[in-house]
Amino acid sequence: MQLTTAGQDAVTPALRKSAARRARRAQHRRLWPFLLPSALVAFFILLYPLGYAFYLSLFNYYLDTGASTFVGFANYADLFTDTRFWAALTRTIGIVVAAVGLEFCVGLTVAYGLYRLTFGVRALNLLMFLPHIITPVVAALFLKWIFAGRWGLLDSLFATFGFFAPDWLGDPAWARVTVVLADAWQFTPFMILVLFAGLNTVDPSQIEAAQIDGASGRQILFRIMLPSIAPIIAFVLTMRMMDAFRYFDTIYVLTGGGPGTATETVTMQTYALAFRLFQIGKASALGVVTLLIVLAFASIIVATVGRRKGRT
Amino acid sequence: MNAGRFRTSQILLFVALAAFTAAMLTPVVWALMTSVKQPIDAFAIPPKIVFEPTFEFHRQVWLEKGFGRFLLNSAVISLATVVVSVSIGTMAAYALSRMSGKAVGGIMLALLSLRMFPHMLLAIPFFILAKYLNLIDTYPAMVLALVAINQPFTIWMMHSFFVDVPKEIDEAAAIDGAGEWQTFFRVVLPIVRPGLWVTALFSLLLAYNEFLFALVLTGPHTKTLPVAIAEYGGEDLNYWSLSAAAAIAIMIPIVLFMMALQKHLVRGLALGAVK
Repeated sequence: MQLTTAGQDAVTPALRKSAARRARRAQHRRLWPFLLPSALVAFFILLYPLGYAFYLSLFNYYLDTGASTFVGFANYADLFTDTRFWAALTRTIGIVVAAVGLEFCVGLTVAYGLYRLTFGVRALNLLMFLPHIITPVVAALFLKWIFAGRWGLLDSLFATFGFFAPDWLGDPAWARVTVVLADAWQFTPFMILVLFAGLNTVDPSQIEAAQIDGASGRQILFRIMLPSIAPIIAFVLTMRMMDAFRYFDTIYVLTGGGPGTATETVTMQTYALAFRLFQIGKASALGVVTLLIVLAFASIIVATVGRRKGRT
Repeated sequence: MNAGRFRTSQILLFVALAAFTAAMLTPVVWALMTSVKQPIDAFAIPPKIVFEPTFEFHRQVWLEKGFGRFLLNSAVISLATVVVSVSIGTMAAYALSRMSGKAVGGIMLALLSLRMFPHMLLAIPFFILAKYLNLIDTYPAMVLALVAINQPFTIWMMHSFFVDVPKEIDEAAAIDGAGEWQTFFRVVLPIVRPGLWVTALFSLLLAYNEFLFALVLTGPHTKTLPVAIAEYGGEDLNYWSLSAAAAIAIMIPIVLFMMALQKHLVRGLALGAVK
């Protein structure tokens, strides 16, 4: 910076630019040692293991016998002809869409309610936030004790009033519903928090102007507030879908993927392949495929949102 | 709209939101009640709301069932993770906030996408590598894994604090003859100290809550609280009161954490601190 100040009239712009670039380069040289430890961690504990996982996915590698043979992309080919994989994939997408959809609808309703409320907002917001921040395994157990057969809260309430309760965790269809509800219980507070923060960033003068023009509360919400927080909505939906797609802790504790494979998501299937059947190669291939799906998912959402923003 | 009608609608809104909050907290309250119930009350139909509480199970879990040891493991692993992750992440975030050019944006974006990675894909190579290196069931394996997955968050979070510090402050320090390290430690770091605490607490929460890597990498000597409670409470309901007592106790530090950080929840969680 100092290089280009007073008395530099004779210096041509090109020269000044190159001097600035030199200064920047010198500064970068002084700063790179700060990056080194993190870069080492990223390389050795993130990128190297990822590359290794891809390498493993090219082998038929059984951990219990230690036998390992190079098979190229056979593991991937096997996956794509495996009905269990396709079933897990459609199941995962169903669970993710149902859970995130539920979270978004409830989350937006509650966030808007909090936005309109003039007292007690802080306390309510904090209290309803608790389920999100609890250790996921503990949260899953709390829910298990609600849904558990016979002695769980729901079943004993049903029994009290003389109804016959469905088998929440043992019936395939109900188990999927329970898993969706469990995800919603933990992540709706996150939706509320982010959407509530978003609603509060909407320019109040815009809302006042609409009110003066006689717009109803609903019109203001759908025509002004939601469009102006569209980027936040896109962000939170993308984030949530990607997280829900890879989510593991809750299902592991709640149903373990069962009954049978009724709640076996792609992540659960990867876990079962790797750590129950010890088919490391095949599990790695499934992990790589999951990564590609998540990335594709994200880029589609980003592209769609980007286009819509460009149009309006 | 007159004032009276306005007040009524506000009260109705409050009641609706309070009911929602109560519904959300039911599982927590139910577990809390179970943890202080005698088995005869816990297994009563209809569920008992009024009963004589006992703290017998809270005592047993910590003193007889070995949860003290798991707490120690969790504490050692979480604290070590925070110390390593936050110190190296802070340095990197500082450098990135002071550099310019396309590469910096690229690095930040790459970090964000690393945060989205399916952890299961990392768990497999971590397990194989730790097995080869004889690191299964040791603290370093777990700490390294947690530091790695925590780095993107730490760097993004600290970066958001560093960019708020004007670069002129660094330049002034440089003119006074301070080197890069001096500028960093003596001048800039004290300014972002509140942010440093927030980042450290969020990292602590992430490490404390982590389950998958702990499930794969820990063993009898290093088992953390989440793995222990999953094993214990995942079984049948015979130990219901005991596992409820443990689960409630695991939650208590988190409640304290939430109260300490309420102002910063949005920033931290939007960057994906917890899960």
